[in-house]
Amino acid sequence: MSDATENVEPGSLDPAAKAELDRAFAELYRDHLKDVYSYAYYRVGNRHDAEDLTEQAFLQAYRHFDRARRESDGRPLRPWLIRIAHNLALNFYRDRSRRPQTPLEYADPIPAQHGTEAVAEGREELRQVIEKLDNLPDDRRDALIMRFALGMDNREIARALGRSDGATKVLIHRAIKQLEEEMSDE
Amino acid sequence: MSETGEKLGGSWDVERLLGDALRPIEPPERLSGRLEDTLAAVTQAAVEELSDWAEELSESELRALRDPRNWVRPVVAVGAGGIATGALLVLELRRRSRQQAKGRLRSVADRVGL
Repeated sequence: MSDATENVEPGSLDPAAKAELDRAFAELYRDHLKDVYSYAYYRVGNRHDAEDLTEQAFLQAYRHFDRARRESDGRPLRPWLIRIAHNLALNFYRDRSRRPQTPLEYADPIPAQHGTEAVAEGREELRQVIEKLDNLPDDRRDALIMRFALGMDNREIARALGRSDGATKVLIHRAIKQLEEEMSDE
Repeated sequence: MSETGEKLGGSWDVERLLGDALRPIEPPERLSGRLEDTLAAVTQAAVEELSDWAEELSESELRALRDPRNWVRPVVAVGAGGIATGALLVLELRRRSRQQAKGRLRSVADRVGL
């Protein structure tokens, strides 16, 4: 994917080219802000850091957008964008030498019309699965976040993680298997 | 068994649980505002760069500017930014940059007698 070398800063472009680049970037931003934020949130475990990470991801994306577009050959840029967020999340933990300070929260997905008992039971199960997810190896957890929170297919996840399609399929299969086993051990 | 988590034949339907637990999350309003401000600042820096560029042109390429094909282009280019998501890329900055570019080019044109 892209790095800082050979990159054209948006500000150095011809004005017409920059206007077109900005238009396309605005579209990317509009289409994928929720994806990047969701990924960041489930990755770092709290809203404050997720906001920082999302902002940094879009700033980096803006800087490298011209090159990424040229190299994408018309393929969707979502995996590239998520890869930026993924790398930033890795740096986030490396720099601060920490894992999420607070346990990963789920976004209260139980509909209100469920009975009280079912709601409590359902929340407990979701808490369990989130807790188990949080303890998975990083690559397995990230692949599951991309699959279930962002709805990415294997090919997109492979591009975001820099792996082959086959390796990604195996990764996801093993991640689900591990979660099933750990849930059954409860 | 609850309606959310299922044990099918003694094993958990983990995929369904994950689907329920990992819902996409709507970014807070303040994040959009913050991002737009940051990107607007980046855009502003680019506009200033464009202004510097126009300034350089006025000093180093006056001769070339006698040909209208050379000096009309930046004005048209800056005006080409009809951005659908005005909030992100700040149309106001574009309007200002267009005026700046026009003003500079007009003064250059006046100086070279066009």
